[in-house]
Amino acid sequence: MQPLLKVQGLNKSFCTRAGVFKRKHARVLQDISFSVGHGETLAIIGETGSGKSTLARVLAGADYSDKGQILLDGDTIEDDGIRCDECRHIRLIFQDPTRSLNPGLTIGDMLDDCLRLNTELTKAQRDKKIKHTLTRVGLLTEHFEYYPHMFSGGQLQRVALARALILDPKVVVLDEALSSLDPSVRAQTVNLLLELQRDTGLSYVLITHHLSLVKHMSDQLLVLNKGKVVEYGDTLSIFATPKSRVMQRLLNV
Amino acid sequence: MQLLDIRNLTIELHTEEGVIRAVDRINLSLKEGEVHALVGESGSGKSLIAKAIVGVLNKRWTVTADRMHWQGVDLMRLGPEKRRKIVSRDMAMIYQEPSRSLDPTAKIYEQVAESLPDSSFKSNFFSRSNERKDKVKALLHKVGIRDDKKVASSYPHELSEGVCQKVMIAMAIARSPKLLIADEPTTALESVAKAQIFRLLKSLNQLKNMSVLMISHELEEITDWSHAMHVLYCGQMVEAGPTDKVFNTPYHPYTQALVKSLPDYAQGLAHKEPFYALKGTIPPLQHLPIGCRLGPRCPQAQKQCVVTPPQSKVHSHTYACHFPLVKEKSKCNRS
Repeated sequence: MQPLLKVQGLNKSFCTRAGVFKRKHARVLQDISFSVGHGETLAIIGETGSGKSTLARVLAGADYSDKGQILLDGDTIEDDGIRCDECRHIRLIFQDPTRSLNPGLTIGDMLDDCLRLNTELTKAQRDKKIKHTLTRVGLLTEHFEYYPHMFSGGQLQRVALARALILDPKVVVLDEALSSLDPSVRAQTVNLLLELQRDTGLSYVLITHHLSLVKHMSDQLLVLNKGKVVEYGDTLSIFATPKSRVMQRLLNV
Repeated sequence: MQLLDIRNLTIELHTEEGVIRAVDRINLSLKEGEVHALVGESGSGKSLIAKAIVGVLNKRWTVTADRMHWQGVDLMRLGPEKRRKIVSRDMAMIYQEPSRSLDPTAKIYEQVAESLPDSSFKSNFFSRSNERKDKVKALLHKVGIRDDKKVASSYPHELSEGVCQKVMIAMAIARSPKLLIADEPTTALESVAKAQIFRLLKSLNQLKNMSVLMISHELEEITDWSHAMHVLYCGQMVEAGPTDKVFNTPYHPYTQALVKSLPDYAQGLAHKEPFYALKGTIPPLQHLPIGCRLGPRCPQAQKQCVVTPPQSKVHSHTYACHFPLVKEKSKCNRS
């Protein structure tokens, strides 16, 4: 069966100054290739500076790659840094929900913006869709009129999830989205994510440094080190027999 | 001897809508060389307690306590000047969000050098600057910063969160305090750096007999090396006692929920199966329920729970619940 998301030979480098005329190229991603199937979860782990967050941004379209292709359902959506798809099918959830939501907009307005700019729906259809999405992530329809400061951290993460889900994406990228939460709220959010995956066949790309969560949630695992893939495969088998030194070190601690 | 002994610590905030009791009658005692963990979710008042001990809460908060003894001296009855002297001599605190609590306008070297006490220098005035340099270098090496020259000559914003955290720890241990209060020291760090810092704190505890009060919302990372654990919920102490007892036989439904939400410890949980989680969310401080504050979310709640449960004690294990969880085994024996 064809995988949902396929990434081939992705490269990305940043340009920094190294003197008056010189430029230094720092390669943050080097030949990254992987694939994610329908309803699967891919976990990406690695130390800080290993390019996890850059990969998440490139996947979601917030940043462009230099070389390589991203394929979604067989169609190329990014080829050598040229994106021909809006941010509709792959959505990103950020680390800190208290800082990634606009404090000046109500939840309804914020979700409405997503729909207004990306779809052709009418006002009534949009409202219906927003209310449907809010109930889907376990919030009430009254929360439409609320501002972000009126929510607790766990509820805000649900709002962030609603913002990601409102465009019916196929892949949701969670960039450390679970690490800043309290344990019981995290358990609730994980349950919600797993339930959504079971019901709708959503795929996740989970970026975290919480190993027990990786073990519990993911089907496949990608270990990054200095922008290179050092290990890629089935989660359980990697946890059982880690081959690379990076993974061994992560597991030992 | 008890190093720190706190009884009925209450922290209140006076607002226009009335008094908010953010921390409600908390008892805490710490012996020399012990590691205690203070566990709770955000908004449960963990950081407030730490700040009240060190005495850095601002004036809006009123702190009352029956006693707050530090080595037999009641801190509450001391004048601010004397209290500050004792606190600065014996305690050190690592604050949350290191990159925000470091001075952004000073280089790391100056900040670390400033925290070195004058009494620690042996040489005379003229060779003191060299000695200071050596000491700062040694401190930075101690906390696991290899590239000391580069770090010492940079500003906080140039460093990563992990390195900032290590610098904060270096500043805290510069005076070799008797008690180190670590307020979520590892939230910003990834697992390798996290383990490094825990190893460091552990070795300081064992070699220098330094007591540590660890504040964290991650249960799993402190269970294997803390002696005792205090679980807080919305400013109430729900359970306290030796770590293995609290962890293995929790009496309070909240502690049980915390333990069960850990994938490593929840026995027999299949891949991708939902966790056990309490319903609802933590109430905001303005709308705290009366009585047991877990009440509305508690699966075992009954009519009696609108009265604040008293602290009950079984051996050294205290809990505050009207209907403590009884172990499955003893239930079977009875029937």
